[in-house]
Amino acid sequence: MPLLEVTNLKQHFTTKKGFLSEKTIIKAVDGVSISIEEGKTLGIVGESGCGKSSLGRSVLQLVEPTEGSVKFKGEEVIGMNAAQMKELRKEMQIVFQDPYASLNPRNTVRQILEAPLIIHNVGSRAERKEIVESLMDKIGLRKEQLRNYPHEFSGGQRQRIGIARALTLNPKLIIADEPVSALDVSVQSQVLNLMLDLQQEMDLSYMFISHDLSVVQHISDRVAVMYLGKVVEIADVEQLYNHPMHPYTQALLSALPIPDPTKKRDRIILQGDLPSPANPPSGCPFHTRCPIATKECAEIVPNLEEKSTNHLAACIHV
Amino acid sequence: MLLEVNDVSLSLRRDGKYSKILDHVSFQVNKGETVGIVGESGCGKSMTALSLMRLLPDKAKLEGSVELQGEKITNYSKRKLEKVRGNQMSMIFQNPLTSLNPLQTVGTQIEESLILHTNMSKKERRVRVLKLLNDVGLPRVEELIDEYPHQLSGGMRQRIMIAIAMACEPQLLICDEPTTALDVTVQAQILELMNEIKEQTQMGIIMITHDMGVVAEVCDRVIVMYAGKVVEEAPVVELFQNPKHPYTRGLLNSIPKLGQRKQKLGSIPGTVPVPENMPVGCRFADRCSHVMDICKSTVPQVTEIKENHQTACWLYDEEGGNKDATTGSNQSQTTLHY
Repeated sequence: MPLLEVTNLKQHFTTKKGFLSEKTIIKAVDGVSISIEEGKTLGIVGESGCGKSSLGRSVLQLVEPTEGSVKFKGEEVIGMNAAQMKELRKEMQIVFQDPYASLNPRNTVRQILEAPLIIHNVGSRAERKEIVESLMDKIGLRKEQLRNYPHEFSGGQRQRIGIARALTLNPKLIIADEPVSALDVSVQSQVLNLMLDLQQEMDLSYMFISHDLSVVQHISDRVAVMYLGKVVEIADVEQLYNHPMHPYTQALLSALPIPDPTKKRDRIILQGDLPSPANPPSGCPFHTRCPIATKECAEIVPNLEEKSTNHLAACIHV
Repeated sequence: MLLEVNDVSLSLRRDGKYSKILDHVSFQVNKGETVGIVGESGCGKSMTALSLMRLLPDKAKLEGSVELQGEKITNYSKRKLEKVRGNQMSMIFQNPLTSLNPLQTVGTQIEESLILHTNMSKKERRVRVLKLLNDVGLPRVEELIDEYPHQLSGGMRQRIMIAIAMACEPQLLICDEPTTALDVTVQAQILELMNEIKEQTQMGIIMITHDMGVVAEVCDRVIVMYAGKVVEEAPVVELFQNPKHPYTRGLLNSIPKLGQRKQKLGSIPGTVPVPENMPVGCRFADRCSHVMDICKSTVPQVTEIKENHQTACWLYDEEGGNKDATTGSNQSQTTLHY
């Protein structure tokens, strides 16, 4: 049984532009099904506006999903009452993108790391102290630094504190929403190394959301590619990167600049930008930019189907 | 030689004290050449660009010389410099939304430099603006010319920025992280467009970026900056295959590469020092895994490794004892031995 099983999850938002104007429905997540095995990492990639962050948030019930099912350890999460949800939050945590905005500037690191323990009534004061200090050790900071405030740390250190906070309650699953995007590459690698070490040590599962294909490739076991609220392809990482099937995945991979000046490749350059999720194209959402689109693509909504073992794609032409 | 930058130093006033942001930066750009400037944030990449354009805050102290096509523009008065900016050299910024005026139409903004630098009539200008919009690959130009920036997508806005920069056909284009705010498929479009423009116009490009992938794709030569100094300079292939400075190696080793899953990435401990608190000797000494005694006391001079490849590091200096430096670049930093 997978640790997390998401079936046909939908997250729709309604917006109203003016006072008299009609409501528009934005389908941020539109029927996504994914699962994460224990101790594994599922990478979610896509361009901005594809719904990858919304997916993370609705899995955690930070926003209430419109429809679908989220099962954690086989138990349905949607519809749980507040007390049940609080228990569950111990096991599912999140790391945010911006380490500057997600740590309270008025609290010391000790207060930040201790907060989850106090909220969930874990341990005595002495035990909490011990937990917090061992966490600092895990993320490679000194325990004397516990009395410092977030602004006294660098971006990479701050992100490590964000990770430590997510780890305080010994969770099983961490949803990491662009955890290294705000960091310089030299610091980004420190955080990625740390996340890989912690995964081994604590048998963590990650849902790793990022727009950076090389980072996702580095850390993931399985990868889902999202486009306009839908998963268009999902496969094990090597399979996906070596044999992408969906034309969007192919274009995305070919657009990735490779840090090797001797390699020249043929590029698939997509036309135009991502259409607005408020007004998605008919049929296959990708057909407006797809290099192999035909007339049927504008009419038929392709299903995510298994095209080869464990490799699913949503395209009528593959 | 299109651009020659010689010993440019820049000091900015902060809290009543001057601190040195750039320290004796020198490099050249040839016609038709793309030179990349790389480094972590806070290394002085953007300040280098702004110093060339002299778009600096008040009370900034700029020393050294910048020559554009043999003309020493560092001596120019403000008024004379305005004739150069946007005309002979122009600049593209990272975030197209904040660098475009939200209250003016696209057409007005592109036209501005034509009004300043040419004697074109209103009609001629409109024709030229339409052609520019076409050249940067924008659709339905006749309507677009009267639209506002907020009506456009991020990729389209960056194309507008390029059109503005290209309006007077500059010889030098300075790009400060032009694709960092864009999605990868749009980034590919913009990089392709810039390569096309370069081939057509033979202008020189300075490409500031932190993305080694972008460097590998578009640059001919690369300058690595650290804490306001140039630490290494080499042609792009040479830099990737045979990086010398421990900082360059650290940067290259920390990129996740396709096909190397879940392996330990190299990383550089610590952070870039702040200008108020610069180390005395080599500025990278605190973070360097090969640090020697001399590094902490004396600033390393630029040493020529081979033709066109220079670095400022004691490991390669005669006086510092030229150790065997033939280590491959693919090993992680912790296992490098000299």
